[in-house]
Amino acid sequence: MKREVKVGLFIVCTAVIICLALLYLANEKGFFAGNYIFTLSSQSGDGFTEGMPVEFSGFTIGKVQKLELNDKGLVLIKIKIPQKHLKWIKIDSTFTLYRPLIGAARIIVTTDNLKSAALPEDKIPEVQIVNDINDSIEKVQPLLDKTTQIAENLEQVSSKIDVMAGKADMHVFGSEGTVPQVNKILKDVNGKLERLNPTIDNVNKISTEASEGLKDIGILRSNVDDTLNAVEDVAKGVDSIISTKKEPEIKLP
Amino acid sequence: MRNFIKNHPQQAALVSIDVPLISNQSVLMNIALIKQYHENMPTAKAEPIVFSALRRLNLENIAFKRNPDLNDEERFFAMLLRAVMVRDALVIIDRPLKIVPHMKNIDYIFQALKNIENLYLNCHIYDYDWMREKYGELSR
Amino acid sequence: MSLLENIGSAVIKLIKSFTDIINFAWKILIRIFNRNTYTSAMRTVLIDQIYFTSVQILPIFLITSIAFGSLLIGVLFLQLKQLGLTQYFGHVLMGLIVTEFSPFVTVLLITLRSGSAINTEIAVMKVNKEMSALEAFRIDVINYLMVPRVINGVISIVLLSTLFSVVLLGSGILFSGLIFGMSIDAYSNVLLNSANFSDIVIALLKSVVFGFFIILIPVRFGLQASHELTSIPIVVSRGMVNVFAAILTIEVLSLIIKLF
Repeated sequence: MKREVKVGLFIVCTAVIICLALLYLANEKGFFAGNYIFTLSSQSGDGFTEGMPVEFSGFTIGKVQKLELNDKGLVLIKIKIPQKHLKWIKIDSTFTLYRPLIGAARIIVTTDNLKSAALPEDKIPEVQIVNDINDSIEKVQPLLDKTTQIAENLEQVSSKIDVMAGKADMHVFGSEGTVPQVNKILKDVNGKLERLNPTIDNVNKISTEASEGLKDIGILRSNVDDTLNAVEDVAKGVDSIISTKKEPEIKLP
Repeated sequence: MRNFIKNHPQQAALVSIDVPLISNQSVLMNIALIKQYHENMPTAKAEPIVFSALRRLNLENIAFKRNPDLNDEERFFAMLLRAVMVRDALVIIDRPLKIVPHMKNIDYIFQALKNIENLYLNCHIYDYDWMREKYGELSR
Repeated sequence: MSLLENIGSAVIKLIKSFTDIINFAWKILIRIFNRNTYTSAMRTVLIDQIYFTSVQILPIFLITSIAFGSLLIGVLFLQLKQLGLTQYFGHVLMGLIVTEFSPFVTVLLITLRSGSAINTEIAVMKVNKEMSALEAFRIDVINYLMVPRVINGVISIVLLSTLFSVVLLGSGILFSGLIFGMSIDAYSNVLLNSANFSDIVIALLKSVVFGFFIILIPVRFGLQASHELTSIPIVVSRGMVNVFAAILTIEVLSLIIKLF
């Protein structure tokens, strides 16, 4: 192939690719299709911005073109919808301003019955406002109250358990406790050991039984300790939940 | 020589060691370039002219060679043909023996010039005085 | 005092070379828009230049862009998925890959391959007295040598960087399916939502400016060669350093324009 042909082929092919891509983009963005303007209304213009996307089922189908304030103090929101997305907007469609905690605010169109009549351009539906931040605070409030209660209860429980644990300690290790008594018995038994050779097996039996009892008591104590730790952890967890949940509550109006 | 060029700025066509061929292009392109640039002649039209000129000097085989691949005579004739491509060329050959140092007899050049006579108007050869004897009868 | 003097002379030198480049650029620009520049000889050079710069490297360019591009897109998508930023991949693709990365990689490739070659070529022609040979035959050096090269730079960068973007977006289809389980429809919808006409126009304009300067500067520095062979490496290295500075400057300027 001649050099000129190759160069020509290269330029024409890439130029065609560029043009096709741009045309496709322009077409999909609705540069060639006719646009329809619908007017929505809202009590407050708070949260609306020009160029804000209008979404249907997660797909952007248009955008806010203009914001106006009419004589009655209502905010009029003009949205521009390209012809090919017109089918999603019906007379019974609801328009919701959705302000998520994270991410940009948008107007969401929901149409339950896609077979109903198209929305006439002179009809002005009102926009409902869903505010993620305030909503979540409202939802969190009772939860917060409850968790506070739980925390208080837990504190009481844990203090009771503390007292109980102290008592258990007394019973086991105190001067009148089990351990010293067992020790006493052991000493007695030891003293009698040399003299009571024939009965030594019996004594041995007794002493092993006694030490097993001691082990059981130790296990019991460690069980009590574990429960205590667990309760403390729960209390800490609740504390931290309370402290983190409290912050946004203070900051917001 | 300088004066001559000054007096004929549009027709002067130099053949000189100081006016080399463009080394990254073939002899063909080097010669065709003059027609293409001066007369805006399409490549398809300029190339046959160059080929026919090369044929007159029996040098078609060098058409696609580049400057470094040429021997001294070939280089000289390529430069000469480039010069005669200028419209109504007044060819000026500057010290031909510098381009083709081992040339014994200048007749070689004259023979070539005769072969392409109709391609140029006039031809002047400039050289040092002490080279006079090399030009034989012509110098007298 | 000598320190101040040094600073002063450095700044003056910088300004001088900057104005010199701008002057030269203006000269070339006027010739580009003059119909008389486009002689048959110049067109031949232009075709040769485009052939050497774009067509000849096309197979390698496509292979590297497919391999490198797919790898990059794959890594990028995985990272986005791990960070839970899946919804931003459209913006990353359009805003970063198409408008920033493609022109930049293409420019680097063309500068390394053709910019340096042109710088040396012009310097060698100057040393060989081929420039004066052209002048002796009343052939305008700017029209015949410079303008086709600069036009070639513009055409090559614009076309190749677009090609690069197209290849990357193509491999994006594959990886969005593999990594996010996304259909082609959803993918193109995400891209369309993030595609901004002004961004694309800025990217194209940037490619044009890149193409103009990354060839113009090597040409200009090539012309500064003297008649000695040793001047060739000097002007080539100087030219390439200046091209690098120009690339950074254009990149920064385009980012500033984008911000406003």
